[in-house]
Amino acid sequence: MKRWIPLLITILFLQACSDSDDDAVTSSSDDFDRKAMLENWADNRIIPAYEDLNTKLGSMVEAKDDFVNNPNEVNLEAVRIAWLDAYKVWQHVEMFSIGRAEQINYAFQMNVYPTNVDDIQSNIQTQNYDLSSVNNHDAVGFPALDYMLYGVGNSKADVISYYITDANLNLNYLSDLVDRMKSLTQSIVDDWKNGYRDDFVNNTENSATGSINKLVNDYIFYYEKGLRANKIGIPAGNFSNEPFPDKVEAYYHGSGSKVLALEGLTAVQEFLNGVAYNSTNDGRGLADYLDALDINATEEALSTAINNQFDDARNAIQPLDDSFADQVQNNNNMMFEAYDQLQLAVVLLKVDMLQALDISVDFVDADGD
Amino acid sequence: MFKNKTILSLTAAAGLLFACSDDDNIATASITVPDNYEFSRDGSSTVSFSGQTTRILMGEELISAMMDNSETEASLVGKFAHQSGDQDFANPELNASGKNLRSKTAASLDYFSANTVEANAIKSDFDSWIAGQVNEVFPNWNQDAAEGQAGQIQEAGGGSVRYVNAKGLEYDQAVNKSMIGALMVDQMLNNYLSTSVLDEADNVENNDNEVLEAGENYTTMEHKWDEAFGYLYGTDDATNPQLGADSFLNKYVARAENDEDFSGIAGKIYNAFKLGRAAIVAGDYDERDTQANVIREEISKIIGIRVVYYLQQAKPLLDNDKGAAFHDLSEAFGFIYSLQFTREPGTGEPYFSKEEVDTFLAQLMAGNGFWGVTPATLDQMSEDIVARFDFTLDQAKD
Repeated sequence: MKRWIPLLITILFLQACSDSDDDAVTSSSDDFDRKAMLENWADNRIIPAYEDLNTKLGSMVEAKDDFVNNPNEVNLEAVRIAWLDAYKVWQHVEMFSIGRAEQINYAFQMNVYPTNVDDIQSNIQTQNYDLSSVNNHDAVGFPALDYMLYGVGNSKADVISYYITDANLNLNYLSDLVDRMKSLTQSIVDDWKNGYRDDFVNNTENSATGSINKLVNDYIFYYEKGLRANKIGIPAGNFSNEPFPDKVEAYYHGSGSKVLALEGLTAVQEFLNGVAYNSTNDGRGLADYLDALDINATEEALSTAINNQFDDARNAIQPLDDSFADQVQNNNNMMFEAYDQLQLAVVLLKVDMLQALDISVDFVDADGD
Repeated sequence: MFKNKTILSLTAAAGLLFACSDDDNIATASITVPDNYEFSRDGSSTVSFSGQTTRILMGEELISAMMDNSETEASLVGKFAHQSGDQDFANPELNASGKNLRSKTAASLDYFSANTVEANAIKSDFDSWIAGQVNEVFPNWNQDAAEGQAGQIQEAGGGSVRYVNAKGLEYDQAVNKSMIGALMVDQMLNNYLSTSVLDEADNVENNDNEVLEAGENYTTMEHKWDEAFGYLYGTDDATNPQLGADSFLNKYVARAENDEDFSGIAGKIYNAFKLGRAAIVAGDYDERDTQANVIREEISKIIGIRVVYYLQQAKPLLDNDKGAAFHDLSEAFGFIYSLQFTREPGTGEPYFSKEEVDTFLAQLMAGNGFWGVTPATLDQMSEDIVARFDFTLDQAKD
């Protein structure tokens, strides 16, 4: 009576082995035009979004130069507007951690928050800083500018006086931050347009280093970490014993966190569907790939289920306060509800979609100590 | 891939078959195995391991103090080599204790009782890491680390700040992870689970006749086994281990258990402790020693797994995220150090000798240490280590 159980288990294991073996062989033989999807991604989404960001950062450099030459309230307002415009576009490119962006930890040099005010002040005071240093990931980029434009004084007049008082030190740092963001972004645009685009679209194979595998992993990582955790979950306290209202994106701006989160969600949904960045043209995307493979969720196509879940998440974010910091403090349950709606799509993306596309997850949760 | 899985499944099946025959043995030997690690005599518990709990708590205070740059060498040494009554700890019970960490470091009967030179060299390693933290790292606490320069280095993305010596090593990690081997693993596998300790003097006769230690409710042999148990579960719930209860061995049993490639290992260790202790109560010393060997194999394996895990985790980070890579390598350093205290069942020897461990560490620390270590070195080391254990690099690496 005791002996047949292990034998049965052995058979089950053998069965499981041959199943997965078969999958590995048949997976890449679908009819979907993988290269056309990569071309759509590169030409209609990634490169146009980077170019737009580069343009917006160019405008920010100009506004900043005016402010440095003449630090008054009008010029401050111009830099602030340019910053928020660029920050919105940023939400469309943060997920593309591939190529040069991956090599230089671009996202870490552009959008690590909360920013570290001690490090910023120490950089300013010592005047001896290397903005490319890993040590400065939390002292550069949009969040550092958030502090420099909104956090150094309560009113515009206070901010102006901060820059007039210690003009050289403070203006230099502001200026260096903006210039570096522009030059980094320029280098990524240049890389895409000088050869990398072709490498990217031609690398169609289904392997850990294939373009689709890598970018889909980046996409899900962004969704899970950059959007779900950083923008909503961490400030709400989903991963801790207490909430952290000061860990929202654009904390010093005061009312920017919702608009940026919604922009990020829009970027995620447009990427899924293969929608062009500069128009509403709907090209080949992951949703089309799933449909071509005829993948269904419980009651509908998986692509529909994911889109519906994104819509539900948007509907849960819309009623939140423009300032997530205020939302966390006034009615944090609404933050948790938004988090839950975002979380529901993680399963669809990370389990159902990755299985359908036969892609392995290439990131793991860090060790934690 | 296919072949590997087949072998694994057959091994698993074989394991189950053996488990079945073990069951039969249990019946014939009339060992009563309780559901949990609970043993009593005349209605009172016979289980006691307070000394192990004390040492784990001392270890916790030591490693957290190593990250406080207001500590001095004397204050840290006080936590490592505490003397009864000295005010070394925040916890007054620890201050009152006559126990300390240093005297049980590299101090097992089997490996070190007649090996004083090596034991002293190992104790001195801990002394030197503690001194290094105070004399090399604390003075450079706010200095950016660089090749050949001690200081701080932040993980990418605004991550944790790590404090390293001139070669990139975090001394606190060296102490923390090496202590798992030199204290917990060595005391457990090479001291308290050894026949040389369990059967010492009149232990067998006394255990057979239930002659208890003066003023206690346990036989000496029962207590020795409990002391081995306490080095793993001393701060955990002994009857329902939650794991992750300390920063030492308990934590890394949890880590192995949470890796799907090794799930079940925690239960295997706990059951072996339980069955071995029940065998002592039943006077079945063969079964006791069989279970001791199960524990030796699984605990040793956990050390090996963690070495490979950290070496492989560090590898892709070397270029872009030195802070994170150095942290992983510092943990690897300590787990490599711990390999010399493992024990291969049936041999009385560690899976890797002190000489082999020293060679690995010398490779990691050569030249400017972690600043110059190559992926090829990390891979070679990983391969060398998995070759001695029954797990693969793929299983251990994430």
